[in-house]
Amino acid sequence: MLKMILSAIFLLGLYTNAFAAVGCSLDDPDRDVKKLFPESSGYKTTFVTLKEIGGEAIKKEIEARLGDTFDSIYENLDVPYAYYTVLKGKDPIGYIHGVNQKGKFGVLQLVLATDLQGKAIAFYYQKISSPESAKFRAVDFTGQFKGLTLSDFAQRTAKVIDPSASSAEDFKATLRGLKKNLILLDLFLHVQGHQGGK
Amino acid sequence: MSRGRSFLVLVGFVFTVGSAGRASAGESLFYKEVNLIGGYSSRDHWAGRSSELLNSVGFEDFRKFSNDYGDYLTTDLQMRVGYDSLKNAEDGWGIQVHNAWLLYKLNLGAKLRLGHFDPAFGLEPQVDTHAMLLQTLAAQDIGFKKDWGIGLEGNLSELDYKTALQLGSGMAIYRRDDSYLWTGRIGSPKTGNLQYGLSFLYGNVLESMGMRTWPRDDLMSDNAVLKKRAGLDSQYLFGPYLFKAEAAYGKNDDNDVLGYLGEIDYTLPRLQNLEFEFQAKSWINDLGEGSSDDTTLSLGVSYKLNQSKTLRAAFSHDLNRFGQKKENKFLVQFYFFGA
Repeated sequence: MLKMILSAIFLLGLYTNAFAAVGCSLDDPDRDVKKLFPESSGYKTTFVTLKEIGGEAIKKEIEARLGDTFDSIYENLDVPYAYYTVLKGKDPIGYIHGVNQKGKFGVLQLVLATDLQGKAIAFYYQKISSPESAKFRAVDFTGQFKGLTLSDFAQRTAKVIDPSASSAEDFKATLRGLKKNLILLDLFLHVQGHQGGK
Repeated sequence: MSRGRSFLVLVGFVFTVGSAGRASAGESLFYKEVNLIGGYSSRDHWAGRSSELLNSVGFEDFRKFSNDYGDYLTTDLQMRVGYDSLKNAEDGWGIQVHNAWLLYKLNLGAKLRLGHFDPAFGLEPQVDTHAMLLQTLAAQDIGFKKDWGIGLEGNLSELDYKTALQLGSGMAIYRRDDSYLWTGRIGSPKTGNLQYGLSFLYGNVLESMGMRTWPRDDLMSDNAVLKKRAGLDSQYLFGPYLFKAEAAYGKNDDNDVLGYLGEIDYTLPRLQNLEFEFQAKSWINDLGEGSSDDTTLSLGVSYKLNQSKTLRAAFSHDLNRFGQKKENKFLVQFYFFGA
């Protein structure tokens, strides 16, 4: 019996094309893409890990741009990131990218939709465990990040006010996560040879 | 070959197979999985398995297929070789196919699912319990967590829906006594802090004696059980707490049945690798008969060593067990899932 099982595994193993493990992919990309880009007709998912595109050297570069070191649980080299190229017909019209970010009580999942130049069109929390999550999810807060780019990040986010009464840690984590999101998307698009902007 | 040595050979084999193809990037993910579990049971003494988990090694292969117009097909194959410590050495080994499905995008915004996947009922399709010591009601309610068949799912304006027509046989492929299983669930999207769903189930369901896909475990009977259910489920994330609840009511042939589950998970804010879980679960096999319930309290702890390795432990205490001796059980688990 054991020999038969091993043979079956071997046959299955022959056609598997191996890979790594997922960071923050969209729970429901069909719903999200249609909501963020009503004119879209489809999307294409791309998986990428930092290990594949440069490993430790890329990690150090990202940490330098972020101004902070990576968290060992949420931000290691093996974590596969998923980004979505939104299409109208065959033509790209934007991108959606989510990241995991350590928050006060657990992981925050921060999703940005951008145009082809990397300018934010929309931002939302796919997951946030804060007791004040409603304040963070409110359009009054998330709408302030519309138009955000990597180059004007510091200037624009300096004006954003923490919407919470006692969750400053989650507010800071949101800003860090959004910056990381834009850095990674910028990096992925350049590596993959897509149109992207700094 | 001894049991222990056989298991080590399998671990090495799966790792070798998994490493062989690493190189190219693309819309594909491959994970290796190792599940080591053991503990003590007041009923069986040495426990080499939980209710739903065996010592096992396996893999998951997840793929996205696209053309110039975008993604159109997703596939997932997740399987493992497990050893059931309650069987003898020769019969203990088996293959469990956990996920084996393809999801095809239809033009109307809906998706068609084909293969082995979750019935669209209760909490189970909303949470991934394939590696967890604490389980949902699915195994008591339906009799299994996955089944072979076809499904349809999609989005309404504010709700998600899914429905499935399956064989009613669970892990192994059987068709006896006109067996089938229809399930349907409508619920909130997965992204909110509060999630909820309403489910229905109807079908002639077979009862298996095990969790193997191949070789097939025997059926408890060639006669299917006519099951009818309505169920409610909910999850609420609030700060460090995740509350889970589900309830189901219906009939198994002529017996009225009722089940309910409540669970609180607590993540330590300062040490988010560490989580505590408390669960109360009860399944009443016949509302017309006294003490016909299976009721268990469980306390679990989970510690994430890193992105791919997790240690878990759980103590469960039976308050009642219908037709069986009550059991106290303590289990520890090492779980690896990664590249």
